[in-house]
Amino acid sequence: MDQSEIDALLAGGGKSAKKPKADKAPAPAPAPPPAAAKPAAHEEPHKDGAGHVISELDTVTSVTERESNKIMDQLDQISRLVSRQQELITGMMQHDAAQAPGVQSAIHEVMSAGKEIQDKVFEAMDLMQFQDITRQKLERIVHHLRQIHDYIVDLLGSGLKSDAERPSISHTIAQTGTTPDENKAHADAVIEAFKTQKKG
Amino acid sequence: MKILIVDDSSTMRRIIINTLSRIGYTDVVEGENGKSGLEKLGQGGVEMIITDWNMPEMDGLEFVKTVRGQNAAIPILMVTTNAAKEDIVEALQAGVNNYVVKPFTPETLKEKIESLLG
Repeated sequence: MDQSEIDALLAGGGKSAKKPKADKAPAPAPAPPPAAAKPAAHEEPHKDGAGHVISELDTVTSVTERESNKIMDQLDQISRLVSRQQELITGMMQHDAAQAPGVQSAIHEVMSAGKEIQDKVFEAMDLMQFQDITRQKLERIVHHLRQIHDYIVDLLGSGLKSDAERPSISHTIAQTGTTPDENKAHADAVIEAFKTQKKG
Repeated sequence: MKILIVDDSSTMRRIIINTLSRIGYTDVVEGENGKSGLEKLGQGGVEMIITDWNMPEMDGLEFVKTVRGQNAAIPILMVTTNAAKEDIVEALQAGVNNYVVKPFTPETLKEKIESLLG
């Protein structure tokens, strides 16, 4: 249920009234959810349940990556705009009319706020690492589903084994969180021990 | 300095490129797996490699071993979700110079790159 349908429902005193598509606000339509990207899969019963689930998960990972890149594009754009704004303000500071102490102080505050925005944009970009981690977690699930599927095929003596490309899987991805540097101390200690042992 | 980034996640490549750009490294080439990484490396000029481990076609470990067969000196930083001790040791034995576990902060990436470049 989208916002226009919720609004219509509220306006109708609880009666469900689905607005026609034409009534919707002209805002950019959100990307369809992964399942909607393959309507045919829902319309026609899939003969291979495991294959269907694997394909759905593959769609989820690719759609998430695509949408993450759109967010990154927007963040890049914000970053460029803030940089441009900073350049313009720097130019403005040279102007005779901007030499009054009060004006200079206000300009410095604007510059400082711009820098904070830029830092937050970079932080948001760094947080997008979650996409790679969740993708790898899904790939691990797909890997296990394929193993179960192939085992059942072997057991029954009929059916086709999965032949899709199998990316290299992280066997510890299930334990990986999304907190930056949560494993840094551990990794650094292992590196240090390895180097010490090599020297000795 | 030209840096080669090898990662199958385009989002992760962008994050690494952004971090590098903030610390002054803007000359970057990209590969989406070990195979394409080797192709980019073959084009010349690369002075440092940042590679993921888990990738299709050719994974990061195989990539590192292949690179080390041709070039013993180029600094290689592995950036991966693999955090187990045996994985880190295996990567170091294969020829990786340093190791970062995802997710990382830009400060960590900066620290590791600077330590590699001495």
